[in-house]
Amino acid sequence: MKVRSVLGRITALAAIIGLVATTAWAGGSGFGDDDDNTQEDGPSYFGFVRDTNGVTVPDAKVTVSLKNRVNFVTRTDALGTYKVPGFGKEVDTNEVEVSCAKDGYRQIRATRRSSASTDPKIPIETECTLQHM
Amino acid sequence: MRKLRSTVFALAALGMAPWSVAAQSQFGDADAQPAPFNPQMSALMNMLIQPRHAKLGLAGSADNWPLAAYALKELRQGFAVAARAVPRWKGLPVPDLFEAAVAQPMATLDAAIKLKYRRQFDEGYEHLTAGCNACHGTTDNAFIVIKAPEASAFPNQDFAPKQ
Repeated sequence: MKVRSVLGRITALAAIIGLVATTAWAGGSGFGDDDDNTQEDGPSYFGFVRDTNGVTVPDAKVTVSLKNRVNFVTRTDALGTYKVPGFGKEVDTNEVEVSCAKDGYRQIRATRRSSASTDPKIPIETECTLQHM
Repeated sequence: MRKLRSTVFALAALGMAPWSVAAQSQFGDADAQPAPFNPQMSALMNMLIQPRHAKLGLAGSADNWPLAAYALKELRQGFAVAARAVPRWKGLPVPDLFEAAVAQPMATLDAAIKLKYRRQFDEGYEHLTAGCNACHGTTDNAFIVIKAPEASAFPNQDFAPKQ
């Protein structure tokens, strides 16, 4: 009886191993080591700051604000992009606003890019446009 | 007798268990159907972008303008393929990042190659390389630093212009 029990466990274990291996390979193959950062803090915020000619603006000040609660202030990098982490899963992303500034410029618009994806890893994208004064 | 037979069967089963696991190694099952090949961003960069960036620099340094034109075209196509294959990476819009990082320097290089103007080529190549590194910074990979090649990594290719 004990032997039967052991055999049953072995069979079950082999089945599980086979299932796991099959599942792991089911999605096709690549050979990269790309990160898969899971967002536990709700969507992050990302975007470009550009001038009116569409040229990206490095070192612009970007403020990402959650209405009446908190502001994140950052600066665009060499590529003219900014990134700010999420405010939390419970935050309504429609209450988050982005503005940008740089000496010699004035902001003329901030446009949120709508995405069909509901993937929480995809950041909320807002492009901020500055005009030379 | 019956007990002995059960014991032998159990031992055989125990012996087979590792065998059946070993048939599917950590690298997959040799008898499985070929899976679609979906190289990720790091692989695409190593396959399509980095060698083409190097060849472009080597061709320009040798004033081999037809080869430089070819390498630039290949590099541009490499970016297009990578952006189509991985339109978002770490959630970020890859086509937009490529556009911001390399579009302008590649336009400069295109003009320099057509004019066979080495100084403008060097300037464009420097900007292109800076664009690569800026993009690596944006994607939290600033530790991957691209530079102009100091020597050829392709011993089976002559970068000098064909006489």
